[in-house]
Amino acid sequence: MKQTKLGILLYVILIIPPITTYMESIMLVHMLIQFPLLILAGWLIGEWVLERWPYHFLKWDANGIAGIILVIFITTYWMFPRAMDESLTIWHIELFKFISLPLVGILLRNSWRKLTIIGRSFVFLNYLSMFGLMGWFYIDSPVQICNNYLEIEQQMLGWGFVVITGIMIVYVLQKCFISGTKSNVNQI
Amino acid sequence: MIKNWRNVVAIILAIVLGSLLIYFGTDGFHAFTEESARTYQLHQEKPLFPRVMLEDNKERVYPFSEFEDKYVLITFFYTACTDVCPVLEMNFAEVYDQIPEKYIGEDIVFLSISFDTKHDKPAVLENYRKSFGSDGETWRMARIPNQTELDNLLKKFGVIVIPEGNGHFQHNSAFYLVNRKGYLEKVMDYEKVDEAAQTVVSVLEKEAGE
Repeated sequence: MKQTKLGILLYVILIIPPITTYMESIMLVHMLIQFPLLILAGWLIGEWVLERWPYHFLKWDANGIAGIILVIFITTYWMFPRAMDESLTIWHIELFKFISLPLVGILLRNSWRKLTIIGRSFVFLNYLSMFGLMGWFYIDSPVQICNNYLEIEQQMLGWGFVVITGIMIVYVLQKCFISGTKSNVNQI
Repeated sequence: MIKNWRNVVAIILAIVLGSLLIYFGTDGFHAFTEESARTYQLHQEKPLFPRVMLEDNKERVYPFSEFEDKYVLITFFYTACTDVCPVLEMNFAEVYDQIPEKYIGEDIVFLSISFDTKHDKPAVLENYRKSFGSDGETWRMARIPNQTELDNLLKKFGVIVIPEGNGHFQHNSAFYLVNRKGYLEKVMDYEKVDEAAQTVVSVLEKEAGE
């Protein structure tokens, strides 16, 4: 239960108002640090959840597909500039953020281990292209997309996405061509 | 088989819930940014132009109701602006030129409202209007000296103004058409000049035809 405690600790830190306000004041931190940390907190807490209700997950989501579908929908929603804007101005959207993103973590933990290698690759490549597109979108946008953030911050966020996409591409390449070589083929 | 049945239900449920989230999160696939959501909402709400006192480029002070019984096409700007506002006002001038002369001043007046109350005094506005070919009568430039009134108006019309601290502002821009009764009728893209002019003319013509 060490992970669960860590997850709860992380979640509590994230909901401390000054920390929340600070993270949300910078667009890049809001989307690329706060969001992933909330998902991570959910993932860690998922250790306890999956142990507490193992049969429910087995019965209702044996192959992990339902979970991953919800994950994709929720994360897609949070990539709309509007969702990010509204989480700052409408309290129930903010509340939804602090519930839905940890939920993504929990579902992901359950689904990821059940997905086949093809399923995982599909999801991974889907996000790779999505992040690349987001990077291009935020850097190249001629107008201010978010009413609460300046254009320069928008471009910073775009470059953040480009960096993540780059890292993901490097990861795919090494997975395909380096760790797949004869000497360690058994580890895949 | 039973195991399968539950999984199918869960998958369908996930798809339905996910679609609902995206649907309601974007007002039925209409608005993916807060700005488009704002425009969409303004068209639904049609807010009333609140009571404000204007001070224009000729140092005249009057309430907005001065324009009662006329359409008013409005922009929000500030004179120290170097990027969007000059384009906004240039486009505004083009719309002005495209409106048939018989309507100008009679049925419609143009009004550029500065939200930089401190800096944009009447003399500054008077200078600024000349560079855009505004006549100062049928196209006036004005500020709202009372900050509370200004803030209220900006809020009602969904104009976002973020001070950058160095005398500049980040803000959104559009053409706002207020009808004869003082209600916001249309919010138009300031980059689509012809489209905006056509919309305004058709509103005026439709009324004349009735």
